[in-house]
Amino acid sequence: MAVFPSTAAAEQAERRTGAGGRGGSGARSGAGAGPGTTGRGSQRIAYLFIAPIAVGFLVFYIWPLLETFWFSFTSFGAFGGNSWVGGENYGRVVQDVTVGKALGNTLLYMVMGLMTLPVAIVLADLMNRRGLRGVPVYRALYFVPFVTLPAAVGLVWNWLYNGDFGMVNEALSWIGVDGRYWVSDPSTAVYAIGLVMIWSHVGYYLIIFTAGIKAIPQEVYEAAEIDGAGPVRRFFRITVPLLSPSIFFASVICVINSLQQFDLIFVMMSPENPALGETQSVVTLFFKWAFDENSQGAAAALAFLLMLLIAALTYLQFRFQKRWVHYA
Amino acid sequence: MPEPAPSPGALSSGAPSPGALSSGAPSPGALSSGAPSPGALSSGAPSPGALAPGDPSSGSAPAPPRGRRPYRFDPGAVATHAVLSLGALVMVFPFLWQLLTAFKTMPEAVRVPPTILPEALNWAAFEKVFTAVPFREMLTNSLLNTAGRTLGQLVFCSLAAYAFARLQFRGKNVLFAVFLSVLMVPPQLLVLPQHEIMQQLGLLNTVPALFLPGMFSAFGTFLLRQFFLALPRELEEAARIDGAGPFRIFWSIMLPLVRPALAALAVITAMWSWNDLLWPLVVNTDPSKAPVSAGLVSLEGQFMTDYPVMMAGSVIASLPMLILYVLLQRHFVQGIALSGSKG
Amino acid sequence: MRRRTLLAGALAAAPAAAGAATGCSAGGASARTSDGRTLISYGMWDPLQVAGMKKIIKAFEAEHPKISVKVQVTPFTSYWTTLKTAMRGGSAPDVFWMNAVNLQLYASEGVLQPLDPYLERDKFDMGVHPEELLRMYTHEGTHFAMPKDFDTIGLWYNKELFDKAGIKYPDESWTWDTVRDAAAELTDRRTGVHGIAAEMHNQYTYYNTIAQAGGHVIRDGRSGFGDPRTIDGLRFWTDLIDRGHSPSQSAMADTRGRQLYLSERVAMNYDLSAMASQMYASPAIKDHGGVAVLPKGRERGTTIHGLANAISGKSRNTEAAWQFVKFLGSRKAAEIQAREGVTISSYEGTQDTWVKSMPEFDLKVFTDMLDYAVPYPASKHTAVWENLQPQLLGGPFTGKGGIEDASRTLARQMDLALEQEK
Repeated sequence: MAVFPSTAAAEQAERRTGAGGRGGSGARSGAGAGPGTTGRGSQRIAYLFIAPIAVGFLVFYIWPLLETFWFSFTSFGAFGGNSWVGGENYGRVVQDVTVGKALGNTLLYMVMGLMTLPVAIVLADLMNRRGLRGVPVYRALYFVPFVTLPAAVGLVWNWLYNGDFGMVNEALSWIGVDGRYWVSDPSTAVYAIGLVMIWSHVGYYLIIFTAGIKAIPQEVYEAAEIDGAGPVRRFFRITVPLLSPSIFFASVICVINSLQQFDLIFVMMSPENPALGETQSVVTLFFKWAFDENSQGAAAALAFLLMLLIAALTYLQFRFQKRWVHYA
Repeated sequence: MPEPAPSPGALSSGAPSPGALSSGAPSPGALSSGAPSPGALSSGAPSPGALAPGDPSSGSAPAPPRGRRPYRFDPGAVATHAVLSLGALVMVFPFLWQLLTAFKTMPEAVRVPPTILPEALNWAAFEKVFTAVPFREMLTNSLLNTAGRTLGQLVFCSLAAYAFARLQFRGKNVLFAVFLSVLMVPPQLLVLPQHEIMQQLGLLNTVPALFLPGMFSAFGTFLLRQFFLALPRELEEAARIDGAGPFRIFWSIMLPLVRPALAALAVITAMWSWNDLLWPLVVNTDPSKAPVSAGLVSLEGQFMTDYPVMMAGSVIASLPMLILYVLLQRHFVQGIALSGSKG
Repeated sequence: MRRRTLLAGALAAAPAAAGAATGCSAGGASARTSDGRTLISYGMWDPLQVAGMKKIIKAFEAEHPKISVKVQVTPFTSYWTTLKTAMRGGSAPDVFWMNAVNLQLYASEGVLQPLDPYLERDKFDMGVHPEELLRMYTHEGTHFAMPKDFDTIGLWYNKELFDKAGIKYPDESWTWDTVRDAAAELTDRRTGVHGIAAEMHNQYTYYNTIAQAGGHVIRDGRSGFGDPRTIDGLRFWTDLIDRGHSPSQSAMADTRGRQLYLSERVAMNYDLSAMASQMYASPAIKDHGGVAVLPKGRERGTTIHGLANAISGKSRNTEAAWQFVKFLGSRKAAEIQAREGVTISSYEGTQDTWVKSMPEFDLKVFTDMLDYAVPYPASKHTAVWENLQPQLLGGPFTGKGGIEDASRTLARQMDLALEQEK
């Protein structure tokens, strides 16, 4: 019995169309497409269909990728022209203490980003309560921060976090807690930003998990209920394990996204903020090197480091998914 | 229970089978190995059903438990509502506060303890936004940027996706693998050379520079391809027998069938384009050629602590996407469930 | 009469225009107005100075009817990136504002027109501008820009708060110790008033005290942040924060030191001379604000910085551009600028106009300090090591201690960066 109707459907659909992104089967589907699609003329037409985007990719993605690689071994003249410097840029990336700091911060953002997932799972589970009214309204509201442009989100939260007049400190004072300068105190700024990240992404993961939970058949819950399992037990014994493919998907996306944090940090941290060094991410550092300090070569090297990091962490997640992800 | 629930999802409405959705899989190909988001589409949030109370979601769920106690007081439900409402308040309050602050004067905004409502509907902050930075031009730039990227993706991605899904040609698999690999590269890696290219084309500080690279999307191609794959072959064959050429078939038969996917792609692309910050900061440093996202940054640089002005700017900048969201909520949710990361 | 002067001006400008025309056969058309005048563009960033500049340009165009100047204002935040890319694309303004941070980069990369040939030809005496400024805009013995204005730092104080605490106002006799004692006395926990704003800002605060302590920021291409005297200059500020006589930098990132001074929540603040007009616009400060020379440490010192006008090395109208720059460096232009009251003109003897424009403040202190002013430190890639400062000094400036370690780390990082310049 398939626990995931949709997964089963996916397989079925793949079988039917002979597709699924795997090279060999794709060819099969085409081969049977009948006369007219295999001739020379139709080949030319196929290329015509693909030509515009292929040109775009070549110019704006593939060529730049090669170029960045070359850049990472050169030094840029401030007003044009670059010269070969060998591994010097990579040397700087390894030596510079700000890189280590930014790397640490970025990993911290990633950990905080991952904490969005449990929050979203609990919310999705709560919304899945039988007969609960108003769920679509909740879902719509939780989703609003994700739609809003990050630059605006950053400004709003800077205002809320303001140490002198912010609502966060005001709210804390009601319960007798002393406020502080959340985004300009080096010991809290990174967490303050992390909280905003969680806040603005929870709606997105909520959608993913809601869908996953919906796919769990009610019978499973009912059977557990008859066996006397309480809501907490049902959550940990049914919801979480059966949701693990969704959680896996979400965590892969989450890691990729949080390693590329830029907008919020850039907007929330002004240049005179003493917490700047404690909040800088790899991408904000990249931006500064590339467009503020004339170190495009080192910036390119840094970008490659980031790509390696993303690739490595994504690979590790896939590697270890078998340990905890239960596919039906 | 191998048979999926007949999907209420709007995405499937044009597609002949729910499988069309499921094979849509999540974005990066590598993830499809079991990722759940197909389910996200067929049974999840986006469905029109989701707007009705009670969610008739997975068709397999028997109704009785729901009907059993329609009007009974349920402490569990009350507690759930309490938690969810509190959460909703946390989600919405910042926006409310932003709006209220925008209507205040600076002395009013920094009053201790804070007052909730502004003394009067004070539009001065909004006026300042438009005089301090060329905000009107910025809104236009954002609009053009969003339109350019979205239209570009719809046209270029659907053409390529159709060819990859339904046509046969030499080098298809290799080409498709190259396309997929583009999907894996973090965008920051490409920013420097893209900037160089724009400079060589003489396009720095022009509106086309904002949207040109964003018109081509590997994700969009991949997404639409999955939908084209799921369409039944009979349709095409019938048309071919009637003498329709490949472009006719694409344009008048196949494209309308994936309309829901196009809508989801359009909406999600529009959102990313409107919100994008890094690329505009890099390529258009001239304020009158920058979009609103970068406009907010320069507003911040100028006003530092004048929060009413910054809040007014944020309200205006985020309003268009919010309106679009309210109008097209369904497509937003679908697009986002499909996309995962930035396209 | 009037007609004749105009005509004379036209004649005088004619060879210049002709020279410009022959020098730019490639793209001459784009640099002409419809009525045949040579069009040059002028890049600047401060919107507050546009009105004054328009007046200066009007006066210039009256003297040079064959030349027309078009102003391009780019906000400071994007000024340098825009200029840089414009330089690469060959579309930079003919004349533009230059600052000390960028001069060496632009001069060494050859994108600025050296002024020396013109200065010699026209026997222009650069001695009318302060020597520190000239040094700032000289690269390898060649002048690359014409000083326009200057800024020094002074001690702004609040007389009312001083009276309340029963302390004498600051004057030339003050030393670091006097400041420390006064800051302690002036700090009032009840009212939330702090004695001083120890803001983490190089130009306004610690560059000055580093000079006063006998330290240095950069010398012979090496960082001075490892020098014990430099560290003394930094510790002066972090001590004030640690003792609670200044708000911490966390608070001042949310509300800047200048704002705190204007809203009378700090009694003393080290700030720019250029801020005088803003201080003057605040009724409370106009009434009971004051300014004094910076207190003495081991020695006296204040940071001087000024803007200058430079000619693009890619300009197609260098002669017309030079005529404009020469005019901008003249007494006439300096006086128009001084009357606007926004900045202190660098031309000698024109400062009085500015000093007298706000009689309530003793603005003379800013020009008095010229005797021992220290030029704003810079190297080829100044921004690189300047950006390191807030990153590494943030902790100590928020009361977390460790200024000595932070400063030494900064020295090491800065030396790495300076190494890369070579």
